[in-house]
Amino acid sequence: MSWTKICDASEISANSTKKYNVNGFDVLVVNYGEGFRVIPPLCPHMEEPLEESGIVVRCSLTCSKHLWAWDLKTLEMQGAETEKTLKVYESKEENGAIFANVDQELIYDFDEEGGGDDDDFFK
Amino acid sequence: MKISVQSKNGEHSFDCGERETILHAGLREGLTLPYECATGTCGTCRARVVGGDYEVLWKEAPGGKRLKPEKGDILMCQTRPLSDCSLMVPSELKVVQSGRPAKRSGTIRNIKPLTKDVAHFDLHLSEPMEFEAGQFIVVETPDLEGGRAYSMVNFTTSPSNHIQLVLKQKADGKFSAWLFGDRKAEESVTVFGPLGRAVFRPSEDKDIVCIAGGSGVAGMMSILEHAVHADYFRNHKGTVFFGVRTHQDTFYLAPLADFVARSHGNLEVTIALSHEESVSEVHAQYPNLKLAAGMVHEVAKNGLGDRGENAIAYIAGPPPMVDGAIRTLLGSGMTVGSIRYDKFG
Repeated sequence: MSWTKICDASEISANSTKKYNVNGFDVLVVNYGEGFRVIPPLCPHMEEPLEESGIVVRCSLTCSKHLWAWDLKTLEMQGAETEKTLKVYESKEENGAIFANVDQELIYDFDEEGGGDDDDFFK
Repeated sequence: MKISVQSKNGEHSFDCGERETILHAGLREGLTLPYECATGTCGTCRARVVGGDYEVLWKEAPGGKRLKPEKGDILMCQTRPLSDCSLMVPSELKVVQSGRPAKRSGTIRNIKPLTKDVAHFDLHLSEPMEFEAGQFIVVETPDLEGGRAYSMVNFTTSPSNHIQLVLKQKADGKFSAWLFGDRKAEESVTVFGPLGRAVFRPSEDKDIVCIAGGSGVAGMMSILEHAVHADYFRNHKGTVFFGVRTHQDTFYLAPLADFVARSHGNLEVTIALSHEESVSEVHAQYPNLKLAAGMVHEVAKNGLGDRGENAIAYIAGPPPMVDGAIRTLLGSGMTVGSIRYDKFG
């Protein structure tokens, strides 16, 4: 495991997100006012780009497309619609910079290529 | 043709006609297939065909841009079967008896311009339809491929042949060109509905917040009519923010003022004008309507106060406005579970 600097904390204002490319893939850094999260850039529901559809308010991330939502402090799912947990990269804020462990890309099981049988469609 | 659906909770099947989409056929039979817009834009009705032949109607449907057609992924609202088909739907499904949508024919009557680009029209249905306040229908014309979704403006307590709709004219909109063009009343169309889950039910016993942009106010009018008819505002608060660009773009002010007058002081309606620099606090002609300058979700942010605390919120309008309104409502402390909208437009 290794820590990679993603950005300076000052680059992202409170209650907003910003996308960065690290190690050849995209991550989304979320500033929820009381801290930061580094997550995959797509909503686990229908692959909506959270950079556009993600609303950060009161320490929650809500995808405006279908109102899937998560508490960014506890990572609990919010609302009756949300069916999948939010994947997060291990991250930390140090000396005004955001670091994350991005050795391996986190991917949701939307429907992986070569996924064998089609049961993955139901996950 | 028989459609078999594997869902998360078992297998269901229904018959689908030759000219019918899989979504319409399933909903018509009471199966709770997932959908929101029913017209190809939202992507909620995705499924995967694992057996059988089919044709896709609108191949460039924006709701389908993340599908994998090579794997048989489809939008059920844009797919007609050409043989018996088996599909997988990643949801839990059940069969309901009430509120099933159906196909009816309708006649367009009484097209009435409300502003330079918004028109009101009536539809007379061949068979009466029962619907809930906040629901919509999909209208198809004989000349144009694909359907357009419109929320009912009126509300009736019993099944009715008469529905009222509102249309925003779009610069490149084929349907609005069709309706605003030289064709006039008495045109025949096909209607499928009622559809939509962003409905108002007095039994929920909550205050109401509505944030609407432009013709998105249609469903709010139905909700308010139902609420006033049920004397709901005797014991509940209602707060409406209706956004348009300028004074010239306002419409439905007279019925809104009438709703306020019949609300025992519990309904507040604010008209937000995004392209007026300064406006008076109340409307000159309708003094029980408030006015504010700004984008409707910003006006709502300033004006909502604690009126969302025990409320269900309804949102309708163009996508950026919907996003802004969700942000406003969540910021005010409302939860995702108390926000309702059907994504179409």
